[in-house]
Amino acid sequence: MTSSELENLRKGALEELSKIESLSELEGFKVKFLGKKGVITQKLKSLKSLPLEEKRQVGSFLNRLKEELLRGIQNKEKELLFKEEDRDLGIDLTLPGRKRAIGAIHPLNVVINELCEIFGRLGFSIATGPEVETEYYNFTALNIPDWHPARDMQATFYLKNGAILRTHTSPIQIRTMLKKKPPLRIVAPGKVYRYDADVRHSPMFHQIEGLMVDKRVSFADLKGILTYFAQETFGEGTRVRFRPSYFPFTEPSVEMDIGCVICGGKGCRVCSHTGWLEILGAGMVHPEVFKAAGYDPSEWQGFAFGMGIERIAMIKYGIDDIRLFFENHRNFLQSFK
Amino acid sequence: MRVPLSWLKEFIDVKASAEEVAEILTMGGIEVEEVFDPYEELGELITVKVLEVSFPEKLKELALCRVTDGRQEFTLLTTAKDQVAPGLVLGAVKPGSMVFSGEKVEEKVVKGFKSYGMFLSPYEAGLGLEKDKLLSFPPDTPPGVSIYEVLKVVEPVLELAITPNRGDALSILGAARELYALTKWELREPSFEEGEGFELNEVVKIEDEDGCFRYTGRLLKGIEVRESPFYIQKRLWLCGQRPINNVVDITNYVMLELGQPLHAFDWETLEGRKIIVRKAREGEKLLMLDGVVRELSSEDLVIADAKRPVALAGIMGGEETGVREGTKEVFLEAAWFNPKRIRRTSQRLKVSTDSSYRFERCVDPEGVLKGLLRACELLKKEAGAKEVSRVIDVYPRPYKAPKIYVSFERVNQYLGFELNKEEVKEYLSRVGKVKEEKEGVEFIPFSYRQDLKIPEDLIEEIARIYGYEKIPTTFPVAELYAEAPLFEIKVLQKVREILSGLGFYEVVNYSFIDPSWIEALMLKDGDRRLKVLELANPLSVNQSVMRTSLVPGLIETARINYFREVSGLKAFELGKVFFPTDDVLAYEPYHLGILMMGYRDKDEWYAEDARFDIFDLKGVLEELFSALKLEVELRPYSEEPFLKRGLSFDLYLGEKKVGFAGGVKNLVLKAFDLKEVVFVAEVDLEALLEPLKDAWEKVEVKKPPKYPSTFRDVTCIVKKELKIGEIFKYIKSLEVPWLEEVKCIKIYEGPPIPEGEKSISLRFWYRAKDRTLKDEEVNQVQEELARKIFEHFGARPR
Ligand SMILES: [Zn+2]
Repeated sequence: MTSSELENLRKGALEELSKIESLSELEGFKVKFLGKKGVITQKLKSLKSLPLEEKRQVGSFLNRLKEELLRGIQNKEKELLFKEEDRDLGIDLTLPGRKRAIGAIHPLNVVINELCEIFGRLGFSIATGPEVETEYYNFTALNIPDWHPARDMQATFYLKNGAILRTHTSPIQIRTMLKKKPPLRIVAPGKVYRYDADVRHSPMFHQIEGLMVDKRVSFADLKGILTYFAQETFGEGTRVRFRPSYFPFTEPSVEMDIGCVICGGKGCRVCSHTGWLEILGAGMVHPEVFKAAGYDPSEWQGFAFGMGIERIAMIKYGIDDIRLFFENHRNFLQSFK
Repeated sequence: MRVPLSWLKEFIDVKASAEEVAEILTMGGIEVEEVFDPYEELGELITVKVLEVSFPEKLKELALCRVTDGRQEFTLLTTAKDQVAPGLVLGAVKPGSMVFSGEKVEEKVVKGFKSYGMFLSPYEAGLGLEKDKLLSFPPDTPPGVSIYEVLKVVEPVLELAITPNRGDALSILGAARELYALTKWELREPSFEEGEGFELNEVVKIEDEDGCFRYTGRLLKGIEVRESPFYIQKRLWLCGQRPINNVVDITNYVMLELGQPLHAFDWETLEGRKIIVRKAREGEKLLMLDGVVRELSSEDLVIADAKRPVALAGIMGGEETGVREGTKEVFLEAAWFNPKRIRRTSQRLKVSTDSSYRFERCVDPEGVLKGLLRACELLKKEAGAKEVSRVIDVYPRPYKAPKIYVSFERVNQYLGFELNKEEVKEYLSRVGKVKEEKEGVEFIPFSYRQDLKIPEDLIEEIARIYGYEKIPTTFPVAELYAEAPLFEIKVLQKVREILSGLGFYEVVNYSFIDPSWIEALMLKDGDRRLKVLELANPLSVNQSVMRTSLVPGLIETARINYFREVSGLKAFELGKVFFPTDDVLAYEPYHLGILMMGYRDKDEWYAEDARFDIFDLKGVLEELFSALKLEVELRPYSEEPFLKRGLSFDLYLGEKKVGFAGGVKNLVLKAFDLKEVVFVAEVDLEALLEPLKDAWEKVEVKKPPKYPSTFRDVTCIVKKELKIGEIFKYIKSLEVPWLEEVKCIKIYEGPPIPEGEKSISLRFWYRAKDRTLKDEEVNQVQEELARKIFEHFGARPR
């Protein structure tokens, strides 16, 4: 067999391979050249009769050709398979997918979770307390005797059996201190109730209370913790300011404002043109509160704070009507998934 | 409380603008809510040029003027015929605006002639007493400009929000003192002379010394009751009050100025010419100045004459003894009443006045006489009082200022930074008398600062005068300790995650509901959910009882959504329900409520527009409990009367009922005005807490199987009523070897299956833990099992 014959054999085979358009043709091709009775197999069998030198040359050519064809067949096979699967199936992929909708946690609980997490980093654990309370825990133990005008600050719902619906989460401070020895770091989220209803007030809303008691926790520390909270909640660049205020259960008392997130401090309707939004009330725990809870005020000091969850959520998400939280319309809830 | 800057300036040397003063006060603890100008607030009070004046016959006394404000021409009517002429520039007010007297100006039509507002008198413009004159301007004044701009009238007023502890700040003087403490600008403390007076003895008697700590009074004769001078009227107006007559106005004026409430009696109406401060007699009645007769109780403190109560002490005077036109002799009262007593009565009778508001918040015991003298001075000057008595001052319990000691160390330790002694002394000296004592100060507050009682109060004074903003911001140094989160919170969070993951939206409903919502559930007598806690003072009946179930709230959620174009809703709520106990406190367990309303999928190209069915709810509950690792059994049927019995379960944990699930009856939905399919479930989470603790302690971890499983199918025909659950239960009881799982893979009814029967296909999976099972051994077991099933249930192969 001359080398040109061999070369023709190779060319012919490759050309035939290149024209193949189906897997069955390819199978035929494979049998034709490489099958038991295939051209190349036959030729390899007939090598025996050739002289040694020629046998070596022709043999190696045929083996290389065999390899080449096998590779070619493999490639061709891949090409044909892909061609089948890559064809246009006539399916309209612009149709929407089968809906597998997840639900959502209520925005108020999203905010509560977030705040608990922020304070959790600082070692505050979560405490709870009853929503139906006694006047003692809700007011008296918090240094708000019944004759005190400060009671006007919190319009109260009374139950017919003499209990009340707690007007703030602060009674949890007392209940926790009565149960646990200092030092103490807690946050206490929950529902509270006030006799009040309009666009900005709901008769039921949520608060989160915080309390830290230790030997040397100072007013400056209160500023530190609350500044950290504000910047974690509303963004790193959030400006805060602290104003003196009055709560019967703290002394000194303070209110914290953040720079208005709507107008950036220039003044707008939301912030009553002050550039500031009131966020929370806080202060150093009043000695009378410590006494009511059985802590020695000459030994322990600390701070407490409380804030409305709805207010935080409204500011964070730009919501202007508190009633949306309790209407529970799906479209509203969907925004928080 | 409103503080006109101009009035404030009489008491303190203000060295800043109104806005700056507002900022100083706010950052000092007296929040200024707003700085505004009452003149601006009136509206459109502008200059107009008269273009033409005519006197239509029909109008008789009136002149019709065509005027312009520079942009627009309109007509005005006026009675001041002789004061109008073309070319004049006059003051006018447009409809919708207010005038000084408090009237809202409207467009008027008289006999077909329109008056678009009216011309202004100096009085209606709030500039002077003259009411008949028209306010006029030089003829070259441009029309259409605010008259106050032209006249350069600027009256900034600060609206202060005073916290309940700071009764002392409820006056102009109080605001000035506060501003002094914060700025040290020069303060002018007022002082007044008693002067000469005739003797007046045995008039005042305090019988209830617990109610009245001090009572001062003075008789003034020769009073002429008339309109107040303009400066008094104007200041009352700036503070949002209406003038009445000079005597009443003066008592109000002094209260606003000095914070001391006063009352003026018509001396000649007092029986026996006596003033007795005593407890009211039970059931005694008093007709008060607001025209209301109130029945008094023995807790109330009254001022009485020889016969009857004439004023509810510190709150409001009586109608019969008040100052009226023609009053000649006035007995003026300035007192210091027990704040607690005033508040109790004010609360009980639900009557609050400027006076009671101040007494409740503690007036200055040393300011009582000042108030009286200031009012006398004004009554002499502005109400013609000629003869005055000596001052009567009954003071059974003289005010004793407390001495408060605070150490410098305590101040610094509390605030968390070092403040030097001089600063501490300086700040405190602005609110009281200071003496350095050992390593601290001994402090006596000024009598008006009765809120200062304990060392911590002084620390607040120091901090706020120093400036909260200047106090450093530090992080506390505390011992490191950690606590595991509350288990109940972990459970709630887990449930939240599972259900939101399953496509449910969490909702939050009110804890108080409409009692008719409980009724709508048609609960049987004796059901504990019927025993609700009732609110004594609900906002409305539909929020008047505490919920004992989450179901009504969820149905309401469904309704709200349904009526606002939501065709399908999956929702859940985690919240407390409330039951009365023997104690005052309630039993308030956490419940989980689940709701599925309307369509599973609707209006989607792939959807069959199918509504939710009971198996959607059952599947969710099964997945929920499986994820919670709790074996809760869903037992048909529920006994809950509001559920469709055939589509309901009670939920059992062991033998304890922990909840229910099912389709809500149409009649119940009707009560909520809802015409859509609703499934609900409610679970008592409190009952699950302990079991959950156990379940979560030991999680069983399954490994991938080592040996293959094999399955066998059985299809058989059974009676239609036979429940698959019974077959499963039976199979379970047999303890079949290697049987890993059984599933019902098909149920079929209809031809060729005879009526009253159904075909079911069951698939059984077998697997051994230690080897691959041989076909023969599985076949043997399976045949035996099938035989038993057929026999037990009277089934036959299909
Ligand atoms: Zn703003």
